[in-house]
Amino acid sequence: MHFLLKFLITGDSGTGKSCLLHQFVENKFKEGATHTIGVEFGSRIVTIGKNQVKLQIWDTAGQERFRSVTRSYYRGAAGALLVYDISNRNSFTSIAKWIADARKLAGADIALMLVGNKLDLEDREVSYLEASRFAQENEMTFLETSALTGEGVEETFLKCGRAILTKIETGQVDPERPGSGI
Amino acid sequence: DEQYDVVVMGTGLTECILSGLLSIEGKKVLHMDRNDYYGGESASLNLTQLFKKFRDGETPAAALGKDRDYNVDLIPKFMMANGELVKILTHTDVTRYLEFKQIAGSYVYRDGTIAKVPATEMEAVRSPLMGLFEKRRAKKFFEFVQNYKADDPATHQGMDINCTPMSEIYKYFGLEPGTIDFIGHALALHLEDSYLNRPAKETFDRITLYMSSMARWGKSPYLYPLYGLGELPQGFARLSAIYGGTYMLDKKVDEIVYENGKVVGVRSGDEVICDPSCAPEKVHKTDRVIRAICLLKGPIPNTDNVDSFQLIIPQNQVKRKNDIYIAGVSASHNVCEKNHYLAIVSTVVETENPQEEIQPGLALLGPIVDKFVQVVDICEPIADGKSDQVFISKSYDATSHFETVCDDVKDLYKRITGNDLVLKQRQTQEEEQKEMADQ
Repeated sequence: MHFLLKFLITGDSGTGKSCLLHQFVENKFKEGATHTIGVEFGSRIVTIGKNQVKLQIWDTAGQERFRSVTRSYYRGAAGALLVYDISNRNSFTSIAKWIADARKLAGADIALMLVGNKLDLEDREVSYLEASRFAQENEMTFLETSALTGEGVEETFLKCGRAILTKIETGQVDPERPGSGI
Repeated sequence: DEQYDVVVMGTGLTECILSGLLSIEGKKVLHMDRNDYYGGESASLNLTQLFKKFRDGETPAAALGKDRDYNVDLIPKFMMANGELVKILTHTDVTRYLEFKQIAGSYVYRDGTIAKVPATEMEAVRSPLMGLFEKRRAKKFFEFVQNYKADDPATHQGMDINCTPMSEIYKYFGLEPGTIDFIGHALALHLEDSYLNRPAKETFDRITLYMSSMARWGKSPYLYPLYGLGELPQGFARLSAIYGGTYMLDKKVDEIVYENGKVVGVRSGDEVICDPSCAPEKVHKTDRVIRAICLLKGPIPNTDNVDSFQLIIPQNQVKRKNDIYIAGVSASHNVCEKNHYLAIVSTVVETENPQEEIQPGLALLGPIVDKFVQVVDICEPIADGKSDQVFISKSYDATSHFETVCDDVKDLYKRITGNDLVLKQRQTQEEEQKEMADQ
């Protein structure tokens, strides 16, 4: 089977969303990136089980900087990666708001994944255990990544893709429904 | 702390299109809105936002359903399938963020009944709008319109539409008053009758736009974005953001500061673009429009149970100067909960009692579950903005489509940049993806 899955990335400004996307699509770190300009989405075809899956991942286009992401950005997404920076506690605290937005605007069925980025940094402010518990309470899968070294990046996207395919197989999500993101 | 070339205030459609176009050209744009949602006067609101705007403090009845199922338009407009907005949307490929649906039918009120505006030749033959002989005369008229070529006098039948008034053309073809009402109001979409004394070209262009829009998809000349008109400004805002535009919602800017008659910045921008509500002392009122947003439980009577429609009540039919318009959409456009319908009844205000003026429209809707009425001033800027660098858009007028909005966009663009707007084709999503894959 072939699937096209629409994903989106949210989370506070400066948590490395565009770099994660870049690392996943290009397998390299994006140098000298400040605020996002000109990135609509990235896409890559991956193999999950026996399925060829095209992951199309939409970026916020920087509109999250002043919490001004358009409602329409969320429409028709099958999954969302909610990214925080493990060395920045505030970005972790904001995740609750990003979850609420995603569930409200994209639909209750959306597969959510919590991603703690910047694993390469030394000054950690959010422990693995705490984030992992938080993810469990909010029914999200959880991973830590480094968009710099690439650690965990591939796994993150594959895991999210797998979660959605499972939802399809178990009948939790109907790929035929318009706006399901599949 | 950051330098911008242009500061835009208000995220209405006009402002968002301009932000998108200027961002593509490399201008650094800061775009703000006092509301915590996009769209300003052209927004589509959920129930919470709708109640906050019209009845602050009151909670929506639970029977209305989920908040998120509602996207209620504040202005009643549709897109002409062959119109300027569709051109701008396709050139900028903002269509990639949107999905469209056709409006199912166009209707006109005539002698106490509702008649369909014929969408096909078959429907035209069967239409009760004209008698047999009148249909022949009308056919001759439409052939004349269709075949008229400015540079070919053989097609002119001795009339130059650049100077002959429209009333003379009607007379030449011997059309009845009812047919003239139908052509002028239901096809050319004139709001009142002053066009009769103006050169016919304007009306010819409007008829041609209607016909070519109708020919594009059939049924009606109109398209509508799923999830409401508010998707349009959001699409252009994203376009601007992709090209570096900075967005701030929920940002209260009290006033624009002027120094020696020039704007010195809401922050530090060279130019300011804003809607009339941001610069009340620099606009004047041209009209007032009443809009009644009505929530219905079923399709409106006598419209073949269509899920969406436009219904025009020409002014002569109800002894007014201005037409009454009704625009209807429903759950199949993702604008309200299942089994609900939305209709906006609107007209240009002529008396001290505007609520009374829209009664003929409200009477056609069947049972109304709830009604949200606003009377708004239609404003336009007093000056062109060149001296103070504040460029103000016009309010959304009483017309049923976006043609005048696009005229305003082009006019503002020219005033701001000094150049005519030339749309360039942006790569489509497919092309972009292919390019990414090839790299």
